Amino acid sequence: MLEAVLLFREALYGTLLIALTCGLLGVYVVLRRIVFVGAALAELSSMGVALGLWLSGFGWAAGVATHPLLLSVIVTLAGVLFFALGGERSRIPPDAVIGVVYAAAGALGILLIAKAVAGEAHDIFLSGNILGITRFDTLTLLAVCLPVLLIHAGFYKEFLFVSFDPQTAATLGYRVNAWNLFLYFTIGVVIAFAMQFAGVMLVFNFLVLPAVAGLLLGNGMKSTFAWASATALAAAAVGFTLSIPFDLPTSPTIIAVSASLTLLAWLARRLRIVPAT
Amino acid sequence: MTPLVSFDRVTLGYGRRTVLSDLSFDIPEGDFLGLVGPNGAGKTTILNALLGTLAPRAGTISRAAGLRFGYVPQSDRVDYGFPLPVIDVVLMGRYDRIGLGRRPGRADRERAHAALEHVGLAQLAQRPITTLSGGQKQRMLIARALVGEPSLLVLDEPTTGMDLVATAQILGLVRSLHENDGLTVLMVSHALNEVANYVERIALVVEGGFRIGTVAEIFTERTLTEMYGIDVDVDSLNGHRVVVVRREQPPGPAPEPDRPTGEGAHHA
Repeated sequence: MLEAVLLFREALYGTLLIALTCGLLGVYVVLRRIVFVGAALAELSSMGVALGLWLSGFGWAAGVATHPLLLSVIVTLAGVLFFALGGERSRIPPDAVIGVVYAAAGALGILLIAKAVAGEAHDIFLSGNILGITRFDTLTLLAVCLPVLLIHAGFYKEFLFVSFDPQTAATLGYRVNAWNLFLYFTIGVVIAFAMQFAGVMLVFNFLVLPAVAGLLLGNGMKSTFAWASATALAAAAVGFTLSIPFDLPTSPTIIAVSASLTLLAWLARRLRIVPAT
Repeated sequence: MTPLVSFDRVTLGYGRRTVLSDLSFDIPEGDFLGLVGPNGAGKTTILNALLGTLAPRAGTISRAAGLRFGYVPQSDRVDYGFPLPVIDVVLMGRYDRIGLGRRPGRADRERAHAALEHVGLAQLAQRPITTLSGGQKQRMLIARALVGEPSLLVLDEPTTGMDLVATAQILGLVRSLHENDGLTVLMVSHALNEVANYVERIALVVEGGFRIGTVAEIFTERTLTEMYGIDVDVDSLNGHRVVVVRREQPPGPAPEPDRPTGEGAHHA
């Protein structure tokens, strides 16, 4: 079994990197109640790829077709700007706006892929192709994830303050909109890159489930981050390892393990194995 | 004395809507001012302008050099779902002093513990904020405001949703911070009866109207009736100022006074 897994070790490294980064960022996503912003950004990211592939069929953006990442990042960052700065300006409730973007981006992505000359099967954007991650892909992910993790380590208290109590942060001179944009930007960039390999479903899983487990098991921000990252890494490693010998689709296996770990975390809290808060 | 904050013919509003116009008042050092009015009258608009988060459309808002606000938001504006101990929330009051990208040091922690002790929460420093009562949450937010060593303490509806005892404790604490520590305080509230018995001056804002003065000047039947547009009675009960809306008496003979009955009643 180990030999079979080792054959895909580059893919495993990439998956672990995505799991760790999304698991940590997911704590903010869950605490700020922007879970579906994460899902909408992932859909926008996949729509960006589809747009690039579709445009290349007309001879436009031929370079983008070979690097679909570029349009994906552009479209995702446009979504970041929209969600980070558009908070209270609309009469429509924010969750409805997120729903509109999610549905429209998801459908448009599939339609564009269906009509793209250079298109691949659209389900690759939903389930990803995690086993196809190469060493180069892992290094690309590392080049994105490492700076994001360092930014979050460096500006932890700033991100925490504007998330917890933006009004008071503003009275102490914090430019809350700018910090929110920065936070969303880091989340958006990671989603855009992770989406290329892990697909919408797995990225969304890593943004939500480990953070939920972290909040169930942790008693402070640090322990929440620790539990979230440990859960994400464990789900990625166990799910990945199980999927190969049992010939299971990798992403759904990882998600099933994530869900099981989250359920265990909930049970641990219910049975008071971890102290209640 | 130079005021800490000065509004000079200020007009405030959102979008195309003007909320208040030609607003002029000062908050001098050592003041204990209550900004009072019904919900939707413009208290929050004035507060936002004072704190610098809303730019005036016209006029000037001047702030003393080096002015620091110690802001206590409405309790429901804070997200208590965050897994934070009390001490970490209090430390946020020093974040801007600590500097960008740096972590709180021992001195910051000592100040945070001292602030918690000052508000009577020293024993709850490590308690998760989700487990606090309404009054304890408010004390924690006051401690956070104090730890930043403010020159002006600003409290937004500090007693909303609290029972009588917690309300009295919070208002007593705020008065003590003013009287014993010399803090300048601005307290925003819709509860005129509460505020009038604690502050020294009242700024009354009602539907575009604004009046400011000492409690004795503002807390009169004439002024309150004029501002609120309904008849009110102002009275004193054991030294406490009380305002009640005047109830129309039904026609006919005046009702007899209530006679005490039941256990514990004293009969002449």
